[in-house]
Amino acid sequence: MIQVTDLQKAYNGVTVLNIPGIHIPQGESFGLVGNNGAGKTTFFRLILDLIEANSGEVRIDDQQVKRNDTWKTMTGSFLDEGFLIDFLTTEEYFNFVGKLHAKSEGDIALFLESMKDFFNDEILGSKKLIRDFSKGNQKKIGIAAALIGDPKILILDEPFTALDPSSQIRLKRFLADLQTRFNMTMLISSHDLNHVTEVCKRIVVLEKGKIVKDLQTGEDTLKELEAYFAV
Amino acid sequence: MLIPNLITQEWKKSYRAQGFYKNLAVNIMLGFFVLYIAVVLLFLGFSLNEILEKVDNKLNPMELFNGGMLYFMFGGLVIRFLMQQLNTLNLPPYQVLPIKRSTLINFLLLKPLASPGNYFLLLVVIPFAIKSVVGYYSGMVALRFVLGFIFLIWFNSLMAAFLKRKFGPGLLSFISLVLVAVALGVLEYFKVFSLFELSKSLYGFIVLKPYGLVVSLMFVGVAYALNRWFFSQNYYPENFNRKIKGDKVVTANLSFLNRFGLIGELIGLELKLILRHKRTKSILYMSVIFLFYGLMFYTRKDYATMNGMLFFVAMFMTGTLMLMFGQWIISWDSSHFDSLMTKNIPVSTYVNANYYLLLAFNLISFTLTTPYFLFGPKIIYMHLAAFVFNIGVNIYLLLFFATYNTRKLDLSKTSAMNYQGTTYKNFLFVLPILFVPMAIVGIISTFASMNAALCTLASLGFVGLLLRKQLINLCVDQFNKRKYTMAEGFREGEA
Repeated sequence: MIQVTDLQKAYNGVTVLNIPGIHIPQGESFGLVGNNGAGKTTFFRLILDLIEANSGEVRIDDQQVKRNDTWKTMTGSFLDEGFLIDFLTTEEYFNFVGKLHAKSEGDIALFLESMKDFFNDEILGSKKLIRDFSKGNQKKIGIAAALIGDPKILILDEPFTALDPSSQIRLKRFLADLQTRFNMTMLISSHDLNHVTEVCKRIVVLEKGKIVKDLQTGEDTLKELEAYFAV
Repeated sequence: MLIPNLITQEWKKSYRAQGFYKNLAVNIMLGFFVLYIAVVLLFLGFSLNEILEKVDNKLNPMELFNGGMLYFMFGGLVIRFLMQQLNTLNLPPYQVLPIKRSTLINFLLLKPLASPGNYFLLLVVIPFAIKSVVGYYSGMVALRFVLGFIFLIWFNSLMAAFLKRKFGPGLLSFISLVLVAVALGVLEYFKVFSLFELSKSLYGFIVLKPYGLVVSLMFVGVAYALNRWFFSQNYYPENFNRKIKGDKVVTANLSFLNRFGLIGELIGLELKLILRHKRTKSILYMSVIFLFYGLMFYTRKDYATMNGMLFFVAMFMTGTLMLMFGQWIISWDSSHFDSLMTKNIPVSTYVNANYYLLLAFNLISFTLTTPYFLFGPKIIYMHLAAFVFNIGVNIYLLLFFATYNTRKLDLSKTSAMNYQGTTYKNFLFVLPILFVPMAIVGIISTFASMNAALCTLASLGFVGLLLRKQLINLCVDQFNKRKYTMAEGFREGEA
């Protein structure tokens, strides 16, 4: 599904990401962990063609992402608030994104109904603009909008931070559900080792732009990660 | 002890803002502009005595000046209400520190008085006082005259801040202020009530009597007390930062755009953006004002032969919305650029949506300027040629060069004197767009005829319309090339 080859990104001569090659097959839940500055967000931005690689390429469904629009039809993503359109109300925003994927009003209403549990009655039905929501609720809005187009690939940058405990648990359940029902490919970065090992079947550890561990999640994975990050 | 600290922190806030140095070129240009105005004002100050001596035989220059004081006060209030940014020391971080609240509020209120912009008009007043008032009266009176003027500035600054905080910067309060000003003018004109006489005697008293300045200071004191009262009523920042909550959602029905598919959706999004942000809204108001530009030029005989100038006016009016919004056409989306780039929007659709938006803007401004057709066939031809040139040439230039704006725009501030996000690049591409056609018309109409000039520009426009597809593809390629730089710039943000 996603094939990365020789990917390198440098700022002012300092290499921030260097991945000789990695393949993420369809339906894999791929967890990315690493300390601040390890290159997690850079990696995601390269996959989403928001920054230009110094060398190498990312392919989605065997098509290069660079200067291409095809991957946008099957990718849902939420990295930060820049992925929202903050002067819209939530309904307007979901409608807008839904229309981009040629959804009818009925489809969108159905989708929002399925999100009811995740939204916990805090998101819909108010005339509030997205910029006036709290960080946690903005995150929920962004994640929901990423899902509206039935993506084959879902990319989330630290989805658990800023969410309240109940929402974290709901999100975990929700992601697992998407995985089993739609066989969705998921790329999730997180600082929370517990959550990420629960949700992801494969964990990759980045350090200073390099892949230092690539694990299939098993019983000992959490311990191994904790040992790795222990200071 | 504390106040100097706060001042240095404010100062740090401004020069540590990203882009302060990067924006040097713009700052230097603005600097020259300010210098120019200063020289003009000084010149006015030194010649004001002679000018006023010719105006009226009975009254001496200072009496005339005093008569204008209250007008100056009302006019100043209206202008400040429109332009003056409220001084918003970011209170919350200080509120939790052991600093006395009244110190903070005093700082908040009095700091704007230190802004040099306030005292610009002293460049007129001081030379006038030295040249004229000293001559007619004495040095002491001149000193009081200048002090009286300074107190008037203080009063205006404090009063405008109070009105703005109390009644909000909305359109309604602005209109009521304008109405009051107009009413005063009308009363004066029909000699029902003369503000001029009142002003003359009031300021005569203030300036000539030794204790007159006390009255002036009392005015300042009242304005200050009103502000203090406001803050005592509204203790928490959430009460006086109205803009955080006050923005009402304009839910204009834009569903007719649905018929145009994806492009329609994107245009709808852009229209919502324009209607829901301060900066874009004030550009909209300004564009409406620019539509009246023609009245200034078409009615005057001395401009009738200045073809280049006339064409400039025609082009500016028939394209006002496009020229005002178009120079930032991509930057408007800077806060959600990542969103647009990763959602299911092909790049060519995005560029096309921007194209159609600008096209619609042109149609609107062109239609709104059709009343000028009453000024005769020359104006009609000029407007038509300008319209075709705008939609055939300028539109692509804007789409192409707007990709060089890589600064994030802050849309929450009004645009009067708002240069945030402006770089030398803006001047680099906007000035040619505005002035090259003007030069072409000027040259061709001098050596051939006005018709030849208009035909040339219109033909260029038609060529652009015929090559629409190719030119848009060029803009798409350019966009793809610049996309990463833009995305990076927009993400960086700017304080």
